[in-house]
Amino acid sequence: MKNYDLITPEGTKDLLFGECIVRRNIESSLMGLFRSRGYSETITPGLEFYDVFNLNSSYFPQENLYKLTDSKGRLLVMRPDNTMPIARIVATRLRDADLPLKLCYAQAVYTTEPSLKGRSDEVVQTGIELIGSQLKMADLEVISTAVDSLSSFGMEFSLELGHIGIFKELVGKLEASDKDKEAIRKLIENKNFPALNDLLDSFGNSPVTTALKKLPALFGGEEVFEKAEELMPDENIKRILDELREVYSDASELCGGDGSITVDLGLVNKTDYYTGLIIKGYLQGHGEEVLSGGRYDRLISEFGYDVPAIGFAVNINAVAKLMEKSDVLPAEPKADVIVYAEDGCEVAALKAAKELREQGLIVENALFDDLESVREYAMEKKISKVVVIDGESKEVNI
Amino acid sequence: MNKPIRMALTKGRLEKDTVGLLEKLGFDCTAVREKGRKLILPVPDANLEVVLAKANDVITYVEHGVCDMGVVGKDTIMEMKGKFYELVDLGFGRCKFALATKKGYDFYSGYGIKTIATKYPNVARSFFEKKGMDTEIIKIEGSVELAPLLELADGIVDIVETGTTLKENGLEVIEDVAPISARLIANTVSLKMRHAEIDRLITLIEENL
Repeated sequence: MKNYDLITPEGTKDLLFGECIVRRNIESSLMGLFRSRGYSETITPGLEFYDVFNLNSSYFPQENLYKLTDSKGRLLVMRPDNTMPIARIVATRLRDADLPLKLCYAQAVYTTEPSLKGRSDEVVQTGIELIGSQLKMADLEVISTAVDSLSSFGMEFSLELGHIGIFKELVGKLEASDKDKEAIRKLIENKNFPALNDLLDSFGNSPVTTALKKLPALFGGEEVFEKAEELMPDENIKRILDELREVYSDASELCGGDGSITVDLGLVNKTDYYTGLIIKGYLQGHGEEVLSGGRYDRLISEFGYDVPAIGFAVNINAVAKLMEKSDVLPAEPKADVIVYAEDGCEVAALKAAKELREQGLIVENALFDDLESVREYAMEKKISKVVVIDGESKEVNI
Repeated sequence: MNKPIRMALTKGRLEKDTVGLLEKLGFDCTAVREKGRKLILPVPDANLEVVLAKANDVITYVEHGVCDMGVVGKDTIMEMKGKFYELVDLGFGRCKFALATKKGYDFYSGYGIKTIATKYPNVARSFFEKKGMDTEIIKIEGSVELAPLLELADGIVDIVETGTTLKENGLEVIEDVAPISARLIANTVSLKMRHAEIDRLITLIEENL
């Protein structure tokens, strides 16, 4: 039998030293940001019942989930998403809590990704969920938190807004089978203009098909709204468009109108629980979105509590990868002092080291049995001071 | 000037056709024509950098965003899938996926499960899945035409251009699976972050197809 005791499973990796510092720094700066805006942390189990993720409004393909069974034979999954467990908590333990609720988290999600593609099966996300408000201010609160998150990385970013309602309204007017509607959605998502035009041609020529054909091209800045208004065949869609435009202008103004806020009316992601506004964040140099979220007003009702919500998650793996690429890995703080105990003075040395730490120094206990080795170690590690404890304490500078 | 847009081209015929197209747009592709063994080549007046790669790798590089755009056949896209935008049908590199069998063989008769040999297992699988037909699919790396001749398979799903190879080996197309041509694809983030430049290039290309 082949042994796999020396490697980690595909799509996972060990992090060492500087990599850990980068990861923890990003996590703690984002969690600090969320806390400073009044969000409270939740930690949910890594294992959940499969049923939590198998709802009408969301579909996680079973081939992409890590599955196992509990001792009673019930189907469990490694958490593939952070929003749905939080929706479960809101509908149960937090059902009587005052609204709005502001929750945040920093934990991994697990999905099986195609092999040999350089993708991770274990991705750490930090994110927020704002539950119980449908106000425009709630949308802006989440957008501005997203902007603050992206700009905290110190890299060129762009935050993109969309609204799933436009597509849903348009495709709802089309006399098409569910299968064709899904095909249209997929082609719009992939901005596959040639195939989209062919497919829509089979439904004749109407304002609806014209608008659907143009939808994936409607991305960019303010000009998108002018182009879109001419295309949209009905009042409902115009109203959605107006709402989005208002949020867009407010968000742009917030960012000083530097063009980092954009809009894409062709954001129609698959298997989403999103019902309205959609948010995507990009960083220069990473080939996929690093931030993703939106409004999901009907998800929590599937757990039996009808309450609107909006949120987003940041892919920490992606941000860390970019930071490691652009900077030298941060060095771990080096010790200021190393304390060496002569035979019989161990307890005194441990106490002396503790006292030094209480003064705010980083102090190692020497793990050698002669002073010469301690000196060499200190030189190697660039520790500038050795304290020798042999009945009375004396300092040796290196 | 901004850093150049990186465009991955599928080595071989699609590369030549794409270079032809870029020259038609008025760009100087001398460096690409006289490439020697180099794999990354500048097209300075278009602020482009051409990367030469195998078809599957074009998709991989574009998906990861290390290339902003790519030119690749629909055959590779159908087999590989992946997350990118498929923006323009470039019209060249036309051929098709087809199901072929030995001449005169009645493929759909009987209830036995049919065996299909192919270089494109995902394309073959989804074709028969849509028909609700269980098939056994065997991946072949070289000349797929051999499989039915050696009686390993009942039929093949393969790229057909003129059909000459099929004819010379006593095979015939019994059904078209999908048309194929070259596509211009783009990384999902690049299209957004470098919208103006990519948009200008696409408009220019579409006007000259």
